[in-house]
Amino acid sequence: MIEAHGLTKRYGDKTVVDGMTFTVQPGKVTGFLGPNGAGKSTTMRMIVGLDRPTAGSVTVNGRPYAQHRAPLGEVGVLLEAKAVHGGRSARDHLLAQAATHGIGARRVDEVIDLTGLGPVARRRAGTFSLGMGQRLGIAAALLGDPQTLILDEPVNGLDPEGVLWVRTLLRRLAAEGRAVFLSSHLMSEMALTADHLVVIGRGRVVADAPVADVIALAGPPTVRVRTPDVRALAALLSREPGVELMSTGSDVLEVTGSTTAQVAAVAATAAIPLHELASVQVSLEEAYLQLTGGEVEYRSSTSGTAPTTTRPTAGAHR
Amino acid sequence: MTTSARHAVPTPATSAPAGRAQGRTPVHPVTFPRLVAAEWVKIRSLRSTWWALALAFVLFPLLAAMRSASVATIADDAPPGFFVGPAYVTSGVTLALLVLCGLGVVAVTGEYRTGQIRSTLAAAPTRLPALWAKLTVVVGLAFATAFVGTLAGWAAAAPWFDEIGMGVDLTDAEHVRLMIGVPLYLAAMTALAYAIGAVIRSSAAGITAVLGLVFVVEPAFAYIPWEPLQQLAGYLPTAAGARLVTSDSIGSIVTGSGATALGPWEGYLVLLGWVAAALVTAAVLLRRRDA
Repeated sequence: MIEAHGLTKRYGDKTVVDGMTFTVQPGKVTGFLGPNGAGKSTTMRMIVGLDRPTAGSVTVNGRPYAQHRAPLGEVGVLLEAKAVHGGRSARDHLLAQAATHGIGARRVDEVIDLTGLGPVARRRAGTFSLGMGQRLGIAAALLGDPQTLILDEPVNGLDPEGVLWVRTLLRRLAAEGRAVFLSSHLMSEMALTADHLVVIGRGRVVADAPVADVIALAGPPTVRVRTPDVRALAALLSREPGVELMSTGSDVLEVTGSTTAQVAAVAATAAIPLHELASVQVSLEEAYLQLTGGEVEYRSSTSGTAPTTTRPTAGAHR
Repeated sequence: MTTSARHAVPTPATSAPAGRAQGRTPVHPVTFPRLVAAEWVKIRSLRSTWWALALAFVLFPLLAAMRSASVATIADDAPPGFFVGPAYVTSGVTLALLVLCGLGVVAVTGEYRTGQIRSTLAAAPTRLPALWAKLTVVVGLAFATAFVGTLAGWAAAAPWFDEIGMGVDLTDAEHVRLMIGVPLYLAAMTALAYAIGAVIRSSAAGITAVLGLVFVVEPAFAYIPWEPLQQLAGYLPTAAGARLVTSDSIGSIVTGSGATALGPWEGYLVLLGWVAAALVTAAVLLRRRDA
């Protein structure tokens, strides 16, 4: 469990993390989502005491990280950049980390097997691909069998099989009752892996809610209907209360404020043929872009992602 | 009757908890001995460590033999007792100093260069114990290498002892001081290099700073013909510490400093003062800075 209160980090007059308050609950995978430069890595480094907060505080399993007598038994951490001396073999790296907590070689070989590093365990880490480096980082994080895991971009550089492996592993760790805090810029991956999301932009929390709620923030699902008689259907639907219509093609209507059942009923009574009827859920990606649209530091001028709806404020959906 | 057969069916690996072995993994609190053990694993698992130590070691017998052989050719002209055996036995000290200082710097800057420091400090978040643990291992290795190297130098120079008319006499206080002083001096200098590396955190800049101090700045102080500066030069770390490995009759073979205001052990204490100051600086900065 991770609890951050008003966590702030400034470098000179640049505020990288600005008063973040959030909680990472046990038994869940909490996704940490934000554009590059939003402060994800800095926040994670502050959690494990590598960076000192300018203001605010953060505890892990009830205490500041540095106050744990056996921190690796409480928190496992994988940071974005490689944190291994390239001249040392993977196994020696893990043996050294293990030695600090009196963890035996048996456990080292266990995490090597668990992460599939067996064939390369005695090779120097400097020769590793990004994907193997990530596996080594995950192995190190699991060494102390911790209740809380912090992983910065763990699927970065992994092949599809590795991505699936990480997803399954993290789901399983959460199912065992551990708190898993995972940052990623891959929203599709987040949608599949996370239960809960902390979305940040420019160092602030812009949403802290279950994945489904974050998607809902971006607006209700719309109904897409394709019919040769757009005009007649539009006339009937516009009489329904609260329904808004938008024509996105010569034979397509986007209906908000209604459901597929209601649209089907209206069409059936008027005997209007329908070629397609579908509920279109806003994707996490769209929700994310809406939430962070105003918070992105450097936006390309051609991006069409400016938010059209009012942006929800932090904590509104807790 | 089928019970035993049913038990033989292997459990799928996926049903085992991901992070756990049978029962909980034993995890113990971080202690200083555990950190020293971890630093030992770290330093012994790098090839560069063994290259540096091997080089530092081999310089002792190599230079002891070379200097003894060259001195042997002029030994006939010298009065008896002119040559101090241990000074020739430990001829490798200056070059070994170069190598061990490099090792001391890189032991700590290598962690910053590679990002290893983040793993190190994640395992030891109170930070200072990790600094002292690595110091213990690095300085211990430097001392052991210099000690064994000195003995090897003794063995290598021995064939010329009779011809030159010198030897190593362990009942002679100066001889003992020189023989044990060399490992002590090199250990202290390695600690100084380590502290400077921890302050600077960059391999290239750290090595430049340490070697610049030892081989450029200090000699420059000593050669500038201005009395107060020359007096001060004797108190700089290398010059002061080198008093311990300076034969009273031959003079320093490490620095050009002619200042002999300090006695051998006084000089060494001055060096230890510099080491302590540099380590305190490194400790304060390690506590304060982001990793």
